[in-house]
Amino acid sequence: MSLIKDLTKGIYRENPVFKLVLGMCPFLAVTTSVENALGMGAAATFVLICSNFLVSLFRNIIPSKVRIPCYIVIIATFVTLVDMVMNAYLPDLHKSLGIFIPLIVVNCIILGRAEGYANRHPVLNSIADAVGMGIGFTLAMVILASFRELLGNGTWLNINVLGTAYQNQPLLIAILAPGAFILLCFILGFFNILEKRKGGRQ
Amino acid sequence: MAEIIKVGLILMLVALVAAVALGLVNSRTASIIAVQKELEKQNAMNEVAGSLSPGDSLAFDSLSVAGLENPYMICDNTLNVMRVSVPPDTSSVGYVFIAYGKGYSSTVQTMAAVELDGSISSTIILYQQETPGLGANVENPSKLIEKFNRLTASECLLTKDGGGIDAMTGCTITSRAVTNSVRTGLEAMNEAGLFNSGDNEPAEENPADATVESSEEGGTE
Repeated sequence: MSLIKDLTKGIYRENPVFKLVLGMCPFLAVTTSVENALGMGAAATFVLICSNFLVSLFRNIIPSKVRIPCYIVIIATFVTLVDMVMNAYLPDLHKSLGIFIPLIVVNCIILGRAEGYANRHPVLNSIADAVGMGIGFTLAMVILASFRELLGNGTWLNINVLGTAYQNQPLLIAILAPGAFILLCFILGFFNILEKRKGGRQ
Repeated sequence: MAEIIKVGLILMLVALVAAVALGLVNSRTASIIAVQKELEKQNAMNEVAGSLSPGDSLAFDSLSVAGLENPYMICDNTLNVMRVSVPPDTSSVGYVFIAYGKGYSSTVQTMAAVELDGSISSTIILYQQETPGLGANVENPSKLIEKFNRLTASECLLTKDGGGIDAMTGCTITSRAVTNSVRTGLEAMNEAGLFNSGDNEPAEENPADATVESSEEGGTE
């Protein structure tokens, strides 16, 4: 029962982006297209699962005074290993996900979950937490990327939606950096309103 | 005191395990990665050079051409040019070269195949790390590099710089990096006397060269 709760809380109730406001750097950087959002989401979820697993496994061995440097070493080593192995044995996958790998190292969701959850909970729960957070992160990115790609390029997942006429004169700012901030504000505002409504009814 | 040593030792142990793991994996994968990079380059070479003489298996031998000074190109003063021939015959059917252009967030490497008369027959982007969704679209041939086909050095210029190639929307810096590095490569090859006809004199002092430092639009590429 608690496993399912751990799994689902990341999707909405504790969504890493909309509720915890973590991982903003990659979130704003790669949401220029839905394809990128899915790629980054998959890569981040994978690393998150593995880092949560390792941190949870070693949680009783690592002294609390040096836990943060230990987590950073574990995560950075792990990401670099994945990068090298993927580059050598899965070059096609590396070609599409490779640009996201360095961004994962600076993704504070991973450190945040290691510190905030995995170091106090058993392995299985930590993995469930990682899966949920990964899905939540991916969903959040897909939402923002959908708006940005649709407005800025007239397409969704590379499918032409708004027509060539729109594509010739798109709302380019949506795909540029300022557009990411503006749209993020609208989305965060929307979720805050949703939350307030819910609170008012109770 | 004893606790500091104990904690320090544990931290050292963690770092040691990480370093050993990284070293081991790197020693195993480095050569495989290098082989793959080389293979990728070979494939790209065959792909672009295929436009020079379709259907034939090709041979490449490398030439060293003195590079030209230019603000877009990062290279050690030599341009790596491959002479292309169709094996039993040793006469060249064209050239392939790699142009290095300083883009928005990376050095964009473009490989171009050139006909003997100095016109581009095909181009391919070898490497770029430009913004996903914007400059990275340069990999899509129809956005920019397809427009290079059949152009000579003096024509390989963006509309903004007085030429006839439209830049990718919102990606002026990336487009300029690719276009100008390819043009400079062509000019260097022309100066080295690789091309047959003399009708494509290198464009002296291009207007583009003057505007590079003051690349206008702040946020765009």
